[in-house]
Amino acid sequence: MTFPSAEPPHWSRPGSDEPRLNRPVPERYPQIRPTSGYADPRVVHSGPGPGAGTEQEPERSAVLSARLVIVLSVVAGQLWALNVGVDAWMQGRTGTAWWCTGFEALSFVIALGAWWLGPRDR
Amino acid sequence: MTGTTDPEEALRDRISADSLTSRRDYLRVMTTVSGGLLVGSVAVSAGVLHRHGDAEAAEVPELRVADRLARGQAVLFNYPGEHDRAMAVKLADDTVVGYSTVCTHLACGVLWKEHRGEEGELYCPCHEGSFDIRTGAVTGGPPPRGLPKVLMVERADGSVWAVGTAFSDESVRHAACRQLGAIRPGTTVPSCPSGGGN
Ligand code: FES
Repeated sequence: MTFPSAEPPHWSRPGSDEPRLNRPVPERYPQIRPTSGYADPRVVHSGPGPGAGTEQEPERSAVLSARLVIVLSVVAGQLWALNVGVDAWMQGRTGTAWWCTGFEALSFVIALGAWWLGPRDR
Repeated sequence: MTGTTDPEEALRDRISADSLTSRRDYLRVMTTVSGGLLVGSVAVSAGVLHRHGDAEAAEVPELRVADRLARGQAVLFNYPGEHDRAMAVKLADDTVVGYSTVCTHLACGVLWKEHRGEEGELYCPCHEGSFDIRTGAVTGGPPPRGLPKVLMVERADGSVWAVGTAFSDESVRHAACRQLGAIRPGTTVPSCPSGGGN
């Protein structure tokens, strides 16, 4: 079998008949960059690379976790105090109930502080 | 929330803050919950919860609940308020005891079970809570407090009267002194602790 020329037959030629549309992708769509689809300009290759999905700022993350642990402990303490307070009030020990309320207030101040002391993460 | 104006810096911060989003939200939610618990506790101490026996002790007249009561028999009535469900039981030794029938766990109705325990007991079918029939103290199950009491007397003619109340786990004497203090403020009763008890 012989071909009349090096050109493939017109029906099997890839691309468009219009040469304008056969230019390379970056020329046709200057908006599309190799990093398109990523918000992070440091990502220059597609697909997960080394360090993908990990913390960007481990210290900041650790501080946030610590604050969260503090607030969770405080809330656990508050649930306990509310329980004690309700029991005390139901047994007619109003003074004890108010002490529990004081404890709740103190706990809330601590929780509020833990939330407040992280201007970047709140 | 860095206050930076440099867009490069802001983008950097946004990216590193991204993975912290859920923890940050959690922190905010839990801080709010903490505030809610404080509000709830203030409300409890200030007295939003209904408490058996809170109907003004000074104004509640004695209530005749039965003309006579046989041993082992129970009678239901409302005392001191219209909605304070209560029960009186006459025990085998002729003592008459009275309790609120609202379970201190989740407020189901408490039943008199004559054949449970040694002397019979007050039993809550909802979660199998049980209360001592002589003291109202919790003897089993999840209830956190004993039953509030209704102070009962049996008159010479056999009629049974409700004459006062006591809070959960409060001694009858303490309750009587407290109510005496409410009815006649300022009186000092020798057998009561000074201050009437509060
Ligand atoms: S409501 Fe009575 S035991 Fe739960």
